[in-house]
Amino acid sequence: MVIPKHILGTFDEALTSLRKDLLMMAGLSERSLDRALKGLLQRDDDLCANAIADDEEIDQLEKQIDKDGFEILLRFQPVASDLRRVISAIKLSPNIERVGDQATNIAKRARKLNQHPPLPEVQLIVPMQAHAMSMFKDSINAYVRENVELANSVCGRDKQLDEMNRHANRKLTERMIEDVEQLQGYFNLILVSRALERVGDHAQNIAEDAVYAAAAEDIRHKGAAVSV
Amino acid sequence: MPQPEVVDPREPVAAPLRDSEGAPLPLAMQAKNVSMWYGTKRAINDLSMDMPAKAVTAIIGPSGCGKSTFIRALNRMHELVPHARIEGSVFLDGQDLYASNMDSAIVRRRVGMVFQKSNPFPTMSIGDNVVVGLRLNGVHDRKFLNERLEQSLRMAALWDEVKDDLQKSGTSLSGGQQQRLCIARALAVEPEVLLMDEPCSALDPIATAKIEELIQELKTRFTIVIVTHNMQQAGRVSDFTAFFYMGRLIEIGSTTKVFTNPTEKQTEDYITGRFG
Repeated sequence: MVIPKHILGTFDEALTSLRKDLLMMAGLSERSLDRALKGLLQRDDDLCANAIADDEEIDQLEKQIDKDGFEILLRFQPVASDLRRVISAIKLSPNIERVGDQATNIAKRARKLNQHPPLPEVQLIVPMQAHAMSMFKDSINAYVRENVELANSVCGRDKQLDEMNRHANRKLTERMIEDVEQLQGYFNLILVSRALERVGDHAQNIAEDAVYAAAAEDIRHKGAAVSV
Repeated sequence: MPQPEVVDPREPVAAPLRDSEGAPLPLAMQAKNVSMWYGTKRAINDLSMDMPAKAVTAIIGPSGCGKSTFIRALNRMHELVPHARIEGSVFLDGQDLYASNMDSAIVRRRVGMVFQKSNPFPTMSIGDNVVVGLRLNGVHDRKFLNERLEQSLRMAALWDEVKDDLQKSGTSLSGGQQQRLCIARALAVEPEVLLMDEPCSALDPIATAKIEELIQELKTRFTIVIVTHNMQQAGRVSDFTAFFYMGRLIEIGSTTKVFTNPTEKQTEDYITGRFG
């Protein structure tokens, strides 16, 4: 469906700019997460450094989105779908920013792990990486395409990631007991696993806001669903 | 002679409006299949709408959509316009206001109106402006009139500002005060419904805020129907919002619903400023 333009062109420009910043932020966070995980799996410190460096720009974009969102609320007093888009953008950006923070955490842990001989248990992270990345990408896609079905599917996938995290924690804790020499390494892998689990939580939050933006339905804390 | 039509005010004439808990709302006014013409030009087209009691219903829509025409039909004010004609029924508490035995003066006492431009009677004092409706209805008891004068000015949040100047001309007041004086005048005859046709469009933001605050207080005692071009105002003051377009009711619902997630695309396009 083609959405007709606003009579006020400056309103369209402001909304487009907000959307562009949000997409830029999501793109940077995705790239940062990808680099951090490759830095871990490929033992590449340069990729880790790049992931950490991206965070500054992501943080600035979060502030820019807040500023632009508030300005749109102030200047144009949006209602209906416009209001939902602006509110969602303001609510989405901290979640995207925290995905960037998790990428930084992973990159920092990876750099520590890279200083020591490789641990085969890093393979526990591989399925989690794929799962968390796909949840994050799909949550952003759901917002951009206003795809409620895709957003709902993201929310449904978070439990699997939680289970993967629990599984990795169990295995890594066992290894910590068996192999005390590598205790710090296993601990760092536990933190990487937890960071990916948090990425899933943020993806779920983004997907929930995507549903609100598209359908005005509040699907948070299901069981008490509220629709306006 | 045909019997005047009576409807059950508990039974909506259009899609039922519900409160936040989903319960049907008691209705004060109901317009049923109303069509209106100015000469041969049709201004309202087969419009049915319920107006909940002790609540504020805002009517929004582009210029020429029939908002003002419609609220004039709610107290038969359109009858003062030459060549204006109406079909359909308007019910107040279940009674048809257009029944042949219904006196238009009584209708206008029960359904008061405040206009876009404040219009105190220029030759009358502030006090006389307020009680003129009662006097015209044959009330001359000075004690009663004084009591009603104070009561009406207090309800209109104007008493403290004018109590020492009741003999001064109504036109000596500021624009916002004049509009509240007109509200006091409408309230003095104890109407059941108060119609407001863009009551703040000529006022500054402070005077507008005072009127909006007043509307919130008045709705606990009266049913209010307000026409406004200012959608932020509709959002601030109303419980329900109706969107009119080309003489038809496109959508009515809770103000939160209409301004967050309207059902009809035409409503969405209008309120978001995409109407072209």
